[in-house]
Amino acid sequence: MKLSKKVVLLGHFGVGKTSLFRRFMDNEFSEEYKVTLGVQIKKKLIQLPDGRELSMIIWDTEGHSISIEDTRKSYLLGSHAFIYVFDLTREETYATLTKDLEYLKENYIKVPARVLGNKLDLVNEKEIRRQLTEKNIPFDDLTSAKTNKNVESFFLDLAEEITR
Amino acid sequence: MTKHQNNHSQFNPQVQIIHVTYDNIITESDHTFFNWKEGTLIFDAHPFFEILREFEKNTSSGKKALNFPCIHLEDGKTEKICDITFTLEKEEIIIILFDYTGKYKDLNQIAQQKNESILLAKELELKNKYLLEKEEFKNSFIANINHEIRTPLTSILGFVEVLEKTKLTFEQEELARIIKRESLHLNALIDDMIDLSKIESGTLKIVEERFAFHNLIDGFRESYAKVAEEKQITFETNIDPGIQEYLIGDRTRIYQILNNILINAFKFTEEGKVIFSITKNYQRTNKLSLTFKIEDTGIGIMEENIPYLFERFTRFDLDKRISGTGLGLAIVKNLVDLLNGEIKVTSEPEKGTTFNIKLPFKFEIIKTSPARKKKKYKLPKSATKYRILVVEDEEITQYLIMKVLISQGNFFVDIAINGEEAINYIERRKYDLILMDLTVSKIDGYQATHMIRNNYGDKFISEVPIIGFSGKSNGTARDKCIRSGMNDFIAKPFEQEELIYKITKQIAKKAAN
Repeated sequence: MKLSKKVVLLGHFGVGKTSLFRRFMDNEFSEEYKVTLGVQIKKKLIQLPDGRELSMIIWDTEGHSISIEDTRKSYLLGSHAFIYVFDLTREETYATLTKDLEYLKENYIKVPARVLGNKLDLVNEKEIRRQLTEKNIPFDDLTSAKTNKNVESFFLDLAEEITR
Repeated sequence: MTKHQNNHSQFNPQVQIIHVTYDNIITESDHTFFNWKEGTLIFDAHPFFEILREFEKNTSSGKKALNFPCIHLEDGKTEKICDITFTLEKEEIIIILFDYTGKYKDLNQIAQQKNESILLAKELELKNKYLLEKEEFKNSFIANINHEIRTPLTSILGFVEVLEKTKLTFEQEELARIIKRESLHLNALIDDMIDLSKIESGTLKIVEERFAFHNLIDGFRESYAKVAEEKQITFETNIDPGIQEYLIGDRTRIYQILNNILINAFKFTEEGKVIFSITKNYQRTNKLSLTFKIEDTGIGIMEENIPYLFERFTRFDLDKRISGTGLGLAIVKNLVDLLNGEIKVTSEPEKGTTFNIKLPFKFEIIKTSPARKKKKYKLPKSATKYRILVVEDEEITQYLIMKVLISQGNFFVDIAINGEEAINYIERRKYDLILMDLTVSKIDGYQATHMIRNNYGDKFISEVPIIGFSGKSNGTARDKCIRSGMNDFIAKPFEQEELIYKITKQIAKKAAN
């Protein structure tokens, strides 16, 4: 049977979820900010290192304003991974991160949640890593959808992880 | 019309109904907006439907329904934003697509505006933070570079003065004169940079002081008459005799404005004349407005260049022999603005340039006595020489001060290279004065002064006159020195005469007490 996994992009509005989505799906980027209403879904076929083929279905959800609990529950149904994206230039987008991760862990116990700090092109990487560590902000990777830094590798690593 | 259509009629949605088996095969569709063929896999219609993999055959007797609002669906050229309902029947799944594209697009616009305004505010905040950091870095860079340049410059200027007093051949005299001129130019450039930096950061303070206006103008008349003579051009001055002898304003900044314009007028005029006129515009109660007009018959400025004249680092002449930093007129414009004045320029290439500067002043209505002249001090007579402790870590400055003081014949000099060594010295030997560099190591000048003033019962130690000195030539350094208990402050690079004057003054005052 063909492998198919659903991955949901979550996070505050304007953090770059759609930019990461477009960058990974179509290798495109636009400086123009366009709000996402509801959810847009695309599929990408990924060749796994062991030769299997994965159909990664990515759900790019509408950003929330306050906390992840605002996200429509039906969007999270049947997920195989969550990607929580925050904006490295806006502290308020990771202010509720710990609480949001706890919520996901409690309600979707088997679904791994990965954390991405996006817009790396706008900050000094060394300095931001130091600040995030100092503030105890957990993250798995830092990306720039604009420059394509760490985007592809992040999704491919995730693909491997959820098909193990 | 179906039951489902009735339920949603209030939004007037269009509806498409699709029947799918639990093997995910489309068995029936009304093709209202998507032409998904019967017999094909629903997963191939759109990746959204892969969610159906999650549902197993409904074995219970009742129906189960699931709602997915605001789903973007596209197939070829058809794009819809739908609310989607799955109804899990016993043998099949019924999928109903409610097309709310219009409603969601309207909502999208509202959300777009709201989010954009928040993001824009954040962007502006970030830009502002970035500019502030940049400004702060620039100011601290300038302050540091000022210190780093002024220290060696002090030595150069000091040693040239020492050198000039020795026996020199004509050629050596000329070379010393060039070194001095260039060093003074460099010093002026640092002053310009500091001023511009202060103006841009808003820290330049305008003072209102009573000053001898005609004295200031006489100074210009005298200095530039010599320049005119050297260049063999004419210098005319026309000063309204009705202008008060003493005015209230920022003498230093007024001098800076006029001097900058006069320097340029003479620099760019090779023949003809420079005319400096001052006229009274009006006088009301204790207020006065003057126009300073400086006309020259120099090379002039092309009309298209005039709008850029007051920008930093602007130079239109390509003659490298004419020196200039390109900062002078930028400073002038900023200073005139700070003084609430106006500056206008007219020019014609090869004919000359005219600057008109309008500045406001105040004056005292009550007749008062003229400003105090600089009081003269003499070293009190003493059987022995006065002992000075110089606290300075830079060898070249130590050497320069020693040369200057010893050449006077009245002083013994000891050198301490840091604050700690200075404290050791004063505990072992009595000093008539301490020259204290503010940034020496171990214990800095301020701390050392504090210790001297507070830790000793012996008045000869605790009341010793202390003069602070530093490359930081702003008012803050001086104020800080006085507040920390020093008697005076001298900025690097200092004139020998000023140094001797200040030392003499402090020793004389101490003796008088």
